[in-house]
Amino acid sequence: MKETQAGVDVKRYRLVRNVVAVWLTGMIVAAFVRDIPRLSILEHTARNLYFHVPMWFTMMAAAFVSAYHSLQVLRTGDLLRDIRALQAARVGFAFGLLGLATGIVWARFTWYVGTSIWWNFDPRQTMAAVQLLIYGAYFVLRTAIDEPHRRARMAAVYNLFAASTVPFLLYIVPRQMPSLHPGAEGNPAFSETDLAPAMRPIFYAAVLGFLGLFWVLYTQRVRLARLKHRLQGDPEY
Amino acid sequence: MNWLYGTWAVFEKDLRLELRSRYAVSMLLLFVLSSLLLVAFGLGPVTVSPRVQSALLWVVILFSAAVGLGRAFISEEERGTVLLLRLNTRGSMVYAGKLLFNFLLVLGVNLVALGAFILLLRVAVQAPGLLLATLVLGALGLAGATTLLAALIARAANRGPLLPVLLFPLLVPLLLSVVSATRAALPGGNGWREAGDELTTLFGFAGVVITVSVLLFDHVWNE
Repeated sequence: MKETQAGVDVKRYRLVRNVVAVWLTGMIVAAFVRDIPRLSILEHTARNLYFHVPMWFTMMAAAFVSAYHSLQVLRTGDLLRDIRALQAARVGFAFGLLGLATGIVWARFTWYVGTSIWWNFDPRQTMAAVQLLIYGAYFVLRTAIDEPHRRARMAAVYNLFAASTVPFLLYIVPRQMPSLHPGAEGNPAFSETDLAPAMRPIFYAAVLGFLGLFWVLYTQRVRLARLKHRLQGDPEY
Repeated sequence: MNWLYGTWAVFEKDLRLELRSRYAVSMLLLFVLSSLLLVAFGLGPVTVSPRVQSALLWVVILFSAAVGLGRAFISEEERGTVLLLRLNTRGSMVYAGKLLFNFLLVLGVNLVALGAFILLLRVAVQAPGLLLATLVLGALGLAGATTLLAALIARAANRGPLLPVLLFPLLVPLLLSVVSATRAALPGGNGWREAGDELTTLFGFAGVVITVSVLLFDHVWNE
């Protein structure tokens, strides 16, 4: 495959980066400026949906990319795949933190308004925190092993093992716990009550924009990590 | 070598070594008992709600398992017996043998912990059968998740506190189900009717974790 040998296609990277920059700027301006329907309680906080939800989609996509490359590490033993799995996890971690932060702040002033609650053990919130812990453990495990091939393989095993428990957090636990999140207890997510039709175009644009931003940051970091290894005179990268 | 025979041989070897030194058993038991005593002393004469009781019990059990079960593969590395084991058996036999040993170890410790917990925290049990089923399924999931990770950290350099860090995030689904099922068995709970979903989840969790471990174990075991 061309990409695994040459690392990252720089021309394509620049093109995507410029498109994503313009796209995101437009989307953020539209998210704040365009009028939205006033739903009870939500009012203007509904704009948070443009940022919070795409952050989560992006984190899940990053987790998927990371797990895919971990699988490839086990199959081929290619160290570049290990770099890819690590960088996807890192960027995903950043998006996860942002998603958690936007969620906590938003919930504080809507769901829990009038109380002093910041954290209420909503299943999805718990799941998000656990996903961040899993990545934390993944990074810690990497620091404990020095030999690159062994580190790549052990980290990949942990990543895939952790990925196998995520469906429990995503699909089983949320259905056994009470939740205020849309999508719990059988009510569909993105129904009329939480995503007004007028908001859909910008929401979809935001999802695409943040996924694009993930791709830009991820490829950038892969290139950077690869250059670092090369500067250290590592012949395998 | 016959797969069942190999698994049994690995299990028997571990059991004999354990009976000779009683290292893991005494460590786990002391850890469980001392932490339960700490909990009991911390609470004093206050009687806490069933929810808090079941949460405390399982947190203590999880911590003791994380401290004790990491030995399974580290001891092989330290004694230098990994190579012999790798030459004479297949990876899946080693995994299954160690899993069986860890499962029985956790189960035994859980039973002692439960007894001490009932005495120390003045717990009244409403559905003993349900509590026992929860304990068995919980131990199975716990042992299943720990065995692969124990093999993994045996390959790392600074292995001391690594296992809890790797293990606890993965055990959150298990902890949530096990605490709910235990609460259903205590006064105020609805017994089997309430805990059915939780037991199914625990069964599924153990199944998934053990299946994935079997698939991944060779990558950890063979260099």
